[in-house]
Amino acid sequence: MSETTPLAILFDATRCIDCRACMVACSAENEVAMDDTRIWLTGAGVIGRFPQLNRATMPYHCMHCLEPACASACPVGAWTKRDDGPVVYDSARCIGCRYCMNACPFGVPHFEWNKGIVEQPLITKCSLCAHRLDAGQPPACVQTCLTGALRFGPRSEMLAEAKKRIADHPGKYVGRVYGEMENGGTSYLILSHVPFEQLGLPAVPPVPVNQATEAVMRGTIPFAIGWAIALSAVAGGVRLYKREARKPTAPDDAPSADASSTQEKTGHDG
Amino acid sequence: MSETRPSVSRRGFLKLGAASGGALAAGALLPPAVAEAARRRGLLNARGDGVIPTLCEMCVWRCGILARVQEGRVVKLDGNPDHPHSLGKMCARGQSGLMTTYDRDRVLHPLIRVGERGSGLFRRASWEEALDHTAEKMLALRDQYGPEAMVFSSTHNLSQTQFENLLGAFGSPNYGTQRSLCFNSMVTAFLLTYGIEEPARNYAAADYILLVGRNLAEAISTSETGALIEAVARGAKLVYLDPRFTKTAAKASEWIPIRPGTDAAFLLAMIQVIVSEHLGDCDFAKQYIVGCEDLPAAMAGYTPEWAEAKTGVPADTIRRIAREFAAAKRRALAHPGWRTSNFVNSFQTERAIATLNAIVGNVFESNGCLTAESPEAGGVSLGKPPQPAYPRVAAARLDGVPWKYPLVPLKLGVFQELRDAILAGTPYQAHGWFIARQNPVMSLPDRHRTLQAMAKLDFIVNVDVLLNDTGWYADVVLPEASYLERYDPLSVVEGKVFLRQPAVQPQGEARSALWIYQQLGQRLGLGDYFQYADEEDYLRQQLAPLGVQLEDLQKTGYYEPPAEAPTTGYTFHTPSGKIEVYSETLAKAGFSPWPTWEEPPVPPAGQYYLLTGKVGQHTQFATQNNAYLHKYQDEPRLWMNEDVAHRLGLTDGEKVEVASPVGRVTVPLLATQAIRPDCVYLPPGFGHRSKGLRTAYGVGASDSDLHVSYVDPISGGQALSQTFVSVRRA
Amino acid sequence: MTADAWRTQLRRLHPTPFGLVLAVLVAIGALVALVRYASGIGAISHLSNTYSWGLWISLDLLCGVALGAGAFTMAAIVYILDLAQFRPILRPAILTGFLGYLMVIVALLVDLGRPERIWHLMIYQNVHSVLFEVGVCVMLYTTVLAIEFLPVLLGPTHWEKPLRILHATTLPLVIAGVVLSTLHQSSLGSLFLIMPSKVDPLWYSPLLPLFFFLTAVAVGLSMVIVESSASARAFHRGLELDLLDRLAKAVPYVLGLYLVLRLGDLVLRGNLPRLFSEPVALLLWLELIVGVAAPMVFFSRKENRRSPKGLLIGSLLVIAGVVLNRFDVSLLAQHHLGGQAYLPSLGELAISLGIISAGILAFAFVARFFPLFESETHDPESAAAPAPASLIGT
Repeated sequence: MSETTPLAILFDATRCIDCRACMVACSAENEVAMDDTRIWLTGAGVIGRFPQLNRATMPYHCMHCLEPACASACPVGAWTKRDDGPVVYDSARCIGCRYCMNACPFGVPHFEWNKGIVEQPLITKCSLCAHRLDAGQPPACVQTCLTGALRFGPRSEMLAEAKKRIADHPGKYVGRVYGEMENGGTSYLILSHVPFEQLGLPAVPPVPVNQATEAVMRGTIPFAIGWAIALSAVAGGVRLYKREARKPTAPDDAPSADASSTQEKTGHDG
Repeated sequence: MSETRPSVSRRGFLKLGAASGGALAAGALLPPAVAEAARRRGLLNARGDGVIPTLCEMCVWRCGILARVQEGRVVKLDGNPDHPHSLGKMCARGQSGLMTTYDRDRVLHPLIRVGERGSGLFRRASWEEALDHTAEKMLALRDQYGPEAMVFSSTHNLSQTQFENLLGAFGSPNYGTQRSLCFNSMVTAFLLTYGIEEPARNYAAADYILLVGRNLAEAISTSETGALIEAVARGAKLVYLDPRFTKTAAKASEWIPIRPGTDAAFLLAMIQVIVSEHLGDCDFAKQYIVGCEDLPAAMAGYTPEWAEAKTGVPADTIRRIAREFAAAKRRALAHPGWRTSNFVNSFQTERAIATLNAIVGNVFESNGCLTAESPEAGGVSLGKPPQPAYPRVAAARLDGVPWKYPLVPLKLGVFQELRDAILAGTPYQAHGWFIARQNPVMSLPDRHRTLQAMAKLDFIVNVDVLLNDTGWYADVVLPEASYLERYDPLSVVEGKVFLRQPAVQPQGEARSALWIYQQLGQRLGLGDYFQYADEEDYLRQQLAPLGVQLEDLQKTGYYEPPAEAPTTGYTFHTPSGKIEVYSETLAKAGFSPWPTWEEPPVPPAGQYYLLTGKVGQHTQFATQNNAYLHKYQDEPRLWMNEDVAHRLGLTDGEKVEVASPVGRVTVPLLATQAIRPDCVYLPPGFGHRSKGLRTAYGVGASDSDLHVSYVDPISGGQALSQTFVSVRRA
Repeated sequence: MTADAWRTQLRRLHPTPFGLVLAVLVAIGALVALVRYASGIGAISHLSNTYSWGLWISLDLLCGVALGAGAFTMAAIVYILDLAQFRPILRPAILTGFLGYLMVIVALLVDLGRPERIWHLMIYQNVHSVLFEVGVCVMLYTTVLAIEFLPVLLGPTHWEKPLRILHATTLPLVIAGVVLSTLHQSSLGSLFLIMPSKVDPLWYSPLLPLFFFLTAVAVGLSMVIVESSASARAFHRGLELDLLDRLAKAVPYVLGLYLVLRLGDLVLRGNLPRLFSEPVALLLWLELIVGVAAPMVFFSRKENRRSPKGLLIGSLLVIAGVVLNRFDVSLLAQHHLGGQAYLPSLGELAISLGIISAGILAFAFVARFFPLFESETHDPESAAAPAPASLIGT
C-alpha cells in the first residue's frame, strides 16, 4: 500500500506583488459566485511614514490544517481532511449550521448568505483545488503565480525550503514559518518580511483547538452511563430510605398518614 | 486579520453561466464550424471538451495561453509553458479573459447610430448594410476630399498588418497609434542611440538593476515581472526611481522618491560621476561610443550637488548609486523603461539611460543583461498574400511627421497632434476616422478636446469587442470577435511562430478583424490587397515559406523554426555604426546632440503634480468592464499624501474635486503615506462615459479629463504627468 | 370536535390586548421568516462571515435551552429525589420546557442554512462534534418531553393502555431526561471550547460545560418561579408559595457553587487581573453581581422567598444574569477576526420576538384549554392538594 504524501503551499510574502492573479484564477477554476471569493487580500498594506515605507499584503485562504477544527466541529461530518492535504467539503451533508465558521481559528469558511431555500445555500472555502491534485496538477493559484511567490509540493519539502530561505537570507524574513505549528500545523506555510499580524495572520496557539471538544466528546458516553447509574442510585436510595423510615419498629407505631403511602404507591403505578 | 477586500460592487453580479445566457447558448450550439474543425484536429472530444492553445490579448505582452473548453465554452485559461512571455504563468488580466469573452456588454451585431453622437442610440444592422454604408461613406469622403481626409488609428495588435494594409491601400498618410502616449521617448532615444527600438532585458545576467519608473510589479509583463522578482529574490540590488511608493518600490532594495520630471538630472549626474571618476568600461567606450572623449566635458555641469537641487535626492546618494552601478560593470542594467517620469524631458531621460548602459559596456553582449533583440523583432520571415503596390501618397501627415517632428519615426507618429489637427483643421480638415481596437476618447489627454475634434468629423467608424467610450461616440460600430473566438495573423516571439486560433465559436455576429478588413477592402474596390479566401487561407500563406502546415501549429499552438546561427559581435544600426551618445542626427535637426538637461515646469503654490501610472489588475482603459477584474480591483481614488491631506482638513474617503487647466473631476480621496507631498495620483482607466459598459460606467474618474496636452518636439511623446492640479473638498 | 364545538372553544378565547399584541408579533415574525426562506438569511439579518452566529443562537438557542431547564430540574426533584409535594408545579414546568424546546427547534429552522436537512443529524454523525451531541440530545429530549406531556393534550379517552405503559416507565424516562439534559446543557458550553482565541479569557475555561450546567439548573428553578407567578396572575390562580419558597432556597446553593468554581477558575488559571484591567470585564462584573451575588443574597432572606414580589425579583435577577452570560460567551465577549461589527437587525429581532410570542401564546392556550394546573386554589398558604399523579398528573 503506497503512502500518500501530504502536500502544502509555501507563500513567500517578499515575492508577492499583490497582482491578484491567484484570486481570479481561483474564481475561474472553481466557478466561485461573483459576490463571494475563496481567496481574499489581507494585510496592513502600506506601512510606515513617508519615505520609510514598507508593504505587506497576502492572499488569505483556507489553511488546510493538519487537525482541522471544521472537520472536528461539523455535526454531520461535511468536512474531511484528505491524506494528501486538502480539507474538502461534502456539500450533500451540510445543514448550514455554520459551526465550522465559528470553530475555524483562521476565520476561513464563508456562507452563501444571499441564497434562499430553493437556491440551496452552502458553505464555501478553498479546496486546495483537490480536483486538480487528483489530476496531478498544482492548485490554480500556484499554477498562475507569476513571481513564484506561491510554491507547491510535499509539506516536508516546503517547510525545509522555507527554513532554508530564512537561513540563507538573514534579516530578510521573520525567523519562523507561519503554519508550521499554528493549530497543530497547517498546509499553507507562510514566509514573511514583516510580523505576521501585519500580513493579517491571527495569532493561533500550537495546540489544535479541537483537542478540548474531542476530549469532551470522548467522555460523553462514559459520563452519561455514570450519571445515569448515579441518578438511579439516588432514586433507589431515596425510596429505600423512605420505605425504611416508614417501617414500623414497634407494633404500636402506626403507619404514617395514608396520604404519603398513597402518594408513594401511585408514584409508581398511578 | 483585516479582510480588506477590494471594491466589490453591490450590484448583483450573475454567475458566469447565467450572465452570458444568450451568448452561452450560442457557444454551446453544436456542432459549430469552428468546434468541428477543432474536433477533427483532435483538440476537442465529441462533447466539446478539450484544451486549445492560443494567445491572450488582455495586454500587449500577449502571452501564450491554453484555453480549457467544456461543451463549447471556455471555462479556464492558463499560461502556455512553451510561450516565452508566459512560461506557464498568467496575470490577473489574462486569467480574467473569459469574462471579457462572456461580458454581457459585448457588441455582437453591427450598429448604426440613430441618435445624437454620444446618446447611445444605435440600431442593429446586418453586416451587409453596415459594411456597405461604411464603404460608401469612406469612398464619398475620398472622392470629395482625398484619401488623406480619412484618418486611421489602431493600437498594437496582431491584425495590425492588415489594418496598415487597409490604410495603405486606401491611400491615406494619417495613421495614429497610441505609441506617443506610451513610449515614443524610449523608442526614439534608443533608435537614435543604438539603432534599435527597444533592447531586450535579461535579468538572470544582472546584479544591479536601475528602474526609472517602469513599475513592473503593476505594469505587469508576465515573464519580465517574474524575472525581475526572481533576480531580487536571488539578491540582485534594485534601485527604483518613482515619486510614488508603488508595489515595485516595495520590492526595491532602494526606493528613490524623486521629484517628478527630474529623472534626467539623476541619471546625468550618475553619468557625470562615472565618467569623471573613470569608473566605466573605457575600452568598450573608446571602441563603440561616438563622443566618448568629449563626454566628460559635456557632463561636467551635472554634478550630484547640482542634481540634488533638482531632484531632492541627496548628492551622496546619487554618487553612491553611480559608483555601485559602475562597480557591477556588465551586470549593471539600466532598464530602458517606457515613459519614465512622463514629462517632455523624458526623451532626454531615455538618452541618459542609453548612455548609462553604454558606458558600463553592458550593451548587446551575448547572454548579457541588455541584448539587441527587441521582443518585437521577428527574425523569422513569414509569407504574405500577393498584392499590388500602394498608391502614392501626396498629402502631408496631419500629425506633423516629419514636417513638424523630423525625428519621430513614421510608425510611431504623434497621436495627440493628430487629434489637434482634426480640431484645428490644419494643414487640412480631416473628415473621417476609422478606429480599430483603440480608445482615444479615454487615452488622449484632454478628453473634452478629443470630443470636440470628433464633432468636426463627418464619419466615425469603430471596430471593437465592447461598446467602449470611442464606440459610444461613433457612427458605425463593427463587432470584432474576442480573442478567444478568432484567428489573427501569426505572432513571432523570440524566434518562435505562435498562432492565435479560436477556442470557441464567435458569439452573435462578431467576426475577426481579418474578415472585417477584407470585406471592407473589397467594398472599397481594394480587394486586390486582401487576396485570401478566409482566415485559415491567410495563415497558410503566412506559413508557406516555412514549409509547415497550419494543422501542426493548431495542435501545439506554435512552430519553432530551426535556430539561425547567432550573430556575433556588436551591430548598431546607427549612421556611424556605433553607439551615438553624441548624435549628429540630433544636432542636424537643431537639438542638443548630447543627453541634456531640460528644466521641467513645477507646480505653482497650492497645486500638485498629477501622476499617472499602471494598475496590476487592469490594462489601461480596456478592462474596467471585466467582471472579475472589477471584483478584485481597488476602488479608484485620488492618492494624496496623508499629512498634506490632514493639513488641508481632508479625510480619507471623502469626495474631492480635482481641477486642471482643462477640466475637473470628482473622486474619493485616498490619504496615504505612499506618495510625495507635492504629488497626487489618479489610477488610470476609470471614468468611462459609455453606458454600454454597464459594469465600468460611473466608476471612478478619468484623468483624460484633466490632462493638458504637452508634446516633446523631439520624440513626439506626450507628457502625461506634466499636468498640475488643485485639490479641494467637493 | 365538531365545528360547533370549535366555535364554542374559540369564543372562549377571550383575547386580551396583550394576547393580540403577541399574535401580531407572531405574524410579523412569520412574514420575516418567509422573506428569509425566499431570499436568504442575508436578506433580513446582519449576520456575516465574521459574525455567523448572532441573536438567534445567543437568545433563541442558548437562552431558550437554558430557560427550559426547569423541566428536568423539576422532574429530578419530583421523581429522583422523590419529593412528590412539588408535583403541582411539575406539569407546567414540563410544558414550559417542551414549548421552550419547540421554540428552539423553530429558531433553528430559521437559523440553519439548510433547515430542510435538519434530519441529517440522524444519518450523518460526526461523533467528534459537540454540536452533533447537542443536536441529538435536544432531539431525544424534546421527544422525552413530548412523551411526558402528550397525555395531557390527548385526554384520557382511548389512550388508556399506552398511557399505563408510559406511566410504568416514568422513572427511567425521567432519568433519561436528566441525563440528556445534563449532556446538552453542558455541551452548549462545550461548543465554545473550540474557540480559545475567540472567547475572552475571562469566560473561556475547561469548566465551561460545568458552568453552563450549574447556571442552567439555577435558571431552570428561577423560570419555574417566574412561570408560576405569571400564570397565577394571568389565570387568576393562587401561587404555590410554599413550594416556590423551597425552590428559591435552593438557588443560592447552586449559584454559590457556581461562583466559587468560576472565581476559582479565574484565579488558578491566572486570569484574575483581567477582571480589573479589561473593559470587557464589565460584562462579567454585571453577570456576577446582578445575576449571581444579588440573587444569592436576596433569596437567602426568608421574607423575600415568601412574597410573590420577592420571588419574582430574585428569579428575574438570575434569569438576567444567565441571559447575559449566554450572550457574553457566544457574542459579546468574543474577539472576531475581520473588521465587521454586528448588531441584530430588525428582521432578526422580529423573528426572535415572534417565536417567543408564539411560545407564550401556546402556553396560554394550553393553560386555558387543558388541565395544566392541578388545583385552583386562592389560598397562597395551603399546600398543593394531593392529586392522582401520573407521568405529570392527569
